[in-house]
Amino acid sequence: MREEIRQIQAQMEGAAYITDPAISTAVHLATTLRKPLLVEGHAGVGKTEIAKVLARVRGTNLIRLQCYEGLDASTALYEWNYPKQILRIRLEERDERSVSEKEADIFSETFLLKRPLLQAITQAERAPVLLIDEIDRADLEFESFLLEVLSDFQVTVPEIGTITAAHRPDVVLTSNRSRDLSDALRRRCLYLWIDYPSFEKEVRILRTKVPGINERLAGQIARVMQNLRRRQLQKVPGVAESLDWGAALVALHADHLDAQLVRETLGCVLKEVDDVKRIEADLAAGRLSELLEG
Amino acid sequence: MTVTAAPRPRDLLTGTVRFCRFLRARGLAITPSESHDAIRALEVVDLGDRSEVHRALRTVLATRPEEFPIFDATFDAFWGGLVAAATQGEGATSPDAPQLNAHFPRAKDAALDFSGWTDVGEGDGEPVGLPGVSDLESAMGKDFSTFEAADLAEVERLAAQIARRLATRRSRRLKPSRRRGRVDLRRTVRLSLTRGELIDLARRERKIQKTKLVVFCDVSGSMDLYSRLLLQFLYAMQNNLGRMETFVFSTRLHRITEDLRHASYRGALSRLGDVRDWSGGTKIGESLRAFNLGWPKLLDRDTVVIVLSDGWDTGEPAILADALRTMRRRAGKLIWLNPLLGSPDYQPLTQGMQAALPEVDAFLPAHNLESFRALARHLKP
Repeated sequence: MREEIRQIQAQMEGAAYITDPAISTAVHLATTLRKPLLVEGHAGVGKTEIAKVLARVRGTNLIRLQCYEGLDASTALYEWNYPKQILRIRLEERDERSVSEKEADIFSETFLLKRPLLQAITQAERAPVLLIDEIDRADLEFESFLLEVLSDFQVTVPEIGTITAAHRPDVVLTSNRSRDLSDALRRRCLYLWIDYPSFEKEVRILRTKVPGINERLAGQIARVMQNLRRRQLQKVPGVAESLDWGAALVALHADHLDAQLVRETLGCVLKEVDDVKRIEADLAAGRLSELLEG
Repeated sequence: MTVTAAPRPRDLLTGTVRFCRFLRARGLAITPSESHDAIRALEVVDLGDRSEVHRALRTVLATRPEEFPIFDATFDAFWGGLVAAATQGEGATSPDAPQLNAHFPRAKDAALDFSGWTDVGEGDGEPVGLPGVSDLESAMGKDFSTFEAADLAEVERLAAQIARRLATRRSRRLKPSRRRGRVDLRRTVRLSLTRGELIDLARRERKIQKTKLVVFCDVSGSMDLYSRLLLQFLYAMQNNLGRMETFVFSTRLHRITEDLRHASYRGALSRLGDVRDWSGGTKIGESLRAFNLGWPKLLDRDTVVIVLSDGWDTGEPAILADALRTMRRRAGKLIWLNPLLGSPDYQPLTQGMQAALPEVDAFLPAHNLESFRALARHLKP
């Protein structure tokens, strides 16, 4: 394994993010090839966390753009501070300056509200990490707009001119695959698919992230999660759910699982009533051991 | 596994380019810029570590998890063969390479496959003589005939109505508006600049989002009773709705969007006369997969996909499920209309239908006017 990749892995684990070779290789390539990294995977496997940890490891800013349907350029890029502009116009009413002078004044950078994308390319100090979260929720129009920004990291504000990034940000995009992204966007990015963690990885994650959890409980939780994911549940629990569950069990001073405890804390793991009923029925029939097998 | 002798740099360059070409032949859309990235990626990883090379190339060259199996198999076959040749040992020159070709047809070939329009069905017809089917058909046939005779105009009217509903969906995006809607500060300030005073409030309102339709109509033998009526409906829709694409399929897929754009239904039909491998067997899965490979750009989140079929599929159910899954992910909504579903006795037990059911958003009947009225409610992505 390449030394740099090993180093990234160590750094990320130092920042309490348990990685695997696939993740560290992808991060290494994204930073050396200077390409955006598109991370896909099921809900709650730690996609967003990659960007956060990357920023922490680098000691740089994390700028986050949360996507949603109807997100448009003015919320993602920039907007003029209209109330401030109107105030200035009123204050300068008796000013002798010409209209064009006034206009140049109120459309200067003081009146510009920088939204995440513009913030990301105007960082003076060092390259930030730009997280574009849940890009699959934004619509196609926004996706094409994003392509433009991601390809040359420059933005044109008609009233001011073109702003070019002083430092190209490291870009991480995440998607839950609620819709398929365009091929154009995919092609522009490196691709990382994060699957549910293996048993060993999940134990390590629990041990790192949940203070006060013992080896036995962590192992049992991970085992139950592995078994639950194999069942045909309506909402499959991710790592986020295991962590919640671990924290809840530690708060209840549990050091191992029993049927009663699982029943009481099932809401941390299962979020659909049908799933809860199914597992409750299993527990009532004394089949906890099946969930702990492996 | 670790490669014993790393290939020389020049071999690596040409090897990577050839590897990309192999992947392209197997349906992965790899651009020259990605090949370039692949070469750059290999410069920054440990070439002695086979699994690291594999991970790095996959990060650069694959763009979705569905491509991973193709990538992995190609990687093993290609680099495995290369290493074997380089070390002159083992003689294991990728036994699975020919298999691969059979398994993953070239995207290009699949797209060109539709050229044989005049071909008649390929002999592997519908499963006939299955219990219950013929009874069902005759019962429904009655429905159908009364329908066709009396309510030709009604079909047209309904199609126009549905088309209108589709064309008036409100989006969450905003557009400038004269009187209604929220105040648009940006434009208000702009306007006041020239007048010195805030007089007019500029407004914006929610844009109308036009739904697009992609329709697949089964014209195989088992659908004979319905396909004429359905086609008439599609003809009326096509001529009322700007953004609609129509395909028919039996053993293969034909795009008939242009053929339906004709002043009269009769005229459209005569054009469709050239497109006859009708009334043959059905390969829904293969047909839909051909669509996914040939027209990937037609689907986006504003698109509703409708499959009109009874689900008698002589192809592989897994292919059908796979094709539907791909379509559903790309499209806003996937609706399956089954004419047989109108019968109270009907159970969707055919293999094709069983494979399809988990993958569709809605499973609805399509045997009379009422069912089409009900359909209109579902046609929003």
